[in-house]
Amino acid sequence: MPDRRRAKEIVFQAVVAILTFSTIAPLLHIIFSVFVEGLPVLIKGGISFLTDTLAPPSDGLGGIGPAIVGTFVLIALSSLMGLPIALMTGIYSAEYPRSIIGRAAKILLQIMMEFPTILVGLFVMELLVIPMGSYSALAGAFALAVIMMPYVAISTEEALKEIPRSYREAAFSLGLSRAQVVFRVLIKMAKRGTLTGILVGMAKVAGETAPLLFTAGGSERIYFRGLNRPIGAIPLLIYQLVQQPYDNYHQIAWGASLLLMLIFLGIFIPTRLLLREVKF
Amino acid sequence: MIIRDKFKIALIPFSALVFGIFALILIIFFANSIQIFEKEGLAIYTTSRWLASEDPSLEFYGVLPAIYGSLYTSGIAILIALPLSVAYSVFVVDYAPRRIKEWLIIATDIMTGLPTIIYGIWGAFFLVPFVKKYLMEPLYENFSFIPLFSYPPSTGHSFLSGGILLGIMVTPFAAAIIREAYRTIPYTYREAVYALGATKYEATRVLIGYIKPAILAGLVLAFGRAIGETVAVSLVIGNTFNISPSLFAPGYTISSLIANQFGNAFIYEHMVSALFAAGLSLSFIGLAVNLLVFRMLRRWEHARS
Repeated sequence: MPDRRRAKEIVFQAVVAILTFSTIAPLLHIIFSVFVEGLPVLIKGGISFLTDTLAPPSDGLGGIGPAIVGTFVLIALSSLMGLPIALMTGIYSAEYPRSIIGRAAKILLQIMMEFPTILVGLFVMELLVIPMGSYSALAGAFALAVIMMPYVAISTEEALKEIPRSYREAAFSLGLSRAQVVFRVLIKMAKRGTLTGILVGMAKVAGETAPLLFTAGGSERIYFRGLNRPIGAIPLLIYQLVQQPYDNYHQIAWGASLLLMLIFLGIFIPTRLLLREVKF
Repeated sequence: MIIRDKFKIALIPFSALVFGIFALILIIFFANSIQIFEKEGLAIYTTSRWLASEDPSLEFYGVLPAIYGSLYTSGIAILIALPLSVAYSVFVVDYAPRRIKEWLIIATDIMTGLPTIIYGIWGAFFLVPFVKKYLMEPLYENFSFIPLFSYPPSTGHSFLSGGILLGIMVTPFAAAIIREAYRTIPYTYREAVYALGATKYEATRVLIGYIKPAILAGLVLAFGRAIGETVAVSLVIGNTFNISPSLFAPGYTISSLIANQFGNAFIYEHMVSALFAAGLSLSFIGLAVNLLVFRMLRRWEHARS
């Protein structure tokens, strides 16, 4: 091999390796920063950081209890609203892939997955917040449900379609109705894929900020007050605190970020483990 | 079908609900935008005067700076995403040993799902000062005669900071599509290239040419993600009405404009409608991007089979 070709080869491989590292380097630095800045806050704040309400400006750490509770309430509520619709839509597209609704639904879900989430927030504000006269847990959860739906529906559809035809035929030959085939046989076989989609959807909405800005409204100092009252959420709290000029608020924001990252990884890691085993 | 499929009929309401929600989104955006269209016409999109006033007759809203900022920052983002995502795909498929490959894929998977507010806080407290110190200040001191670098870096909040942060965030989305396409290049093609005596560099160049449509689709998708991103970018862009060619100038994006102004928009007569119109333009860009990706990927799949 002539020297010039060899030199080019070496430079090329070096560039590819460097660029690849640059792709994931920010993630490593983000995880590092969040731990370095957030961990001391969690240690210093202790348990009360998880249970107390927000401190006044420039006066200690207080806690982010209402936001933590809010995040879990919102995940639960949005799952309650979004999952049934998403699962059924996914089943429909998988069972009737050639029907007009089935095909259109697939395209629509793809579009919804890419739809800017802030616009969903705007939509829900006009639809629920203004008629109800107040920000509310209900509005926040509905916005999150709309965002969660496409993730769950698409993965349900894909999981169902991966099941070999022979299983479906065997189930039908037992004389089961289509509903029985789907709910008693296929869904159970597609359990992992479906569950993965549900977890991805939950991880996604746990970290969403933009759709909550004009729907959930935030609540830093008061715990859950009811479905029709404003509610806090960790991402929303971080967004608000970062924009404040107070040092202690920035610290609280880092602590909250670490917590949010742990919640996210807590959902993400099991999902990854599930996914690797998805094989027939 | 002669026999009525009860199961199908039972499922239809759920699918219909999804269609209904999406239709309702579009209706609400159109209905709320009409007011500003009647008042200003297309000037809402083509002018850059933003005048909020208690007196409705003085109010005027032009969101051109936000549209400009969205396109500018998302453009920077895909310029960053292109080399990174292609190199990443080549490295993961061709070079990385199995264990490293696994970790690289897990890392980018985490990046696609990581709450965007975490990118935001990192962007505001680390990236902005970093970019200011190591990119903006040296470039401004030495090359300020070039329009791109002509704006004095004050806080570091700028199109550049926004573009870089978006680039980091959307590279994994582009990489997922490009990696998959690069991985599924038929083995015979690879063998054929190497049989000609090509070095890895030469072979990669040929193979990259083969997946060009998928690279394009990945970048368009990344563009769509970048333009819809809200909170992370609003923490680093400066939130200022500004149409400047300089990378170092602060600006606005459509989504950060909405995030910033919508909260107090109800005090004014026309601002809510103006922001809905801004959102409408964003959703159109989003829809166009989607259809484009959909068609490109489908054509690419057809060409391969």
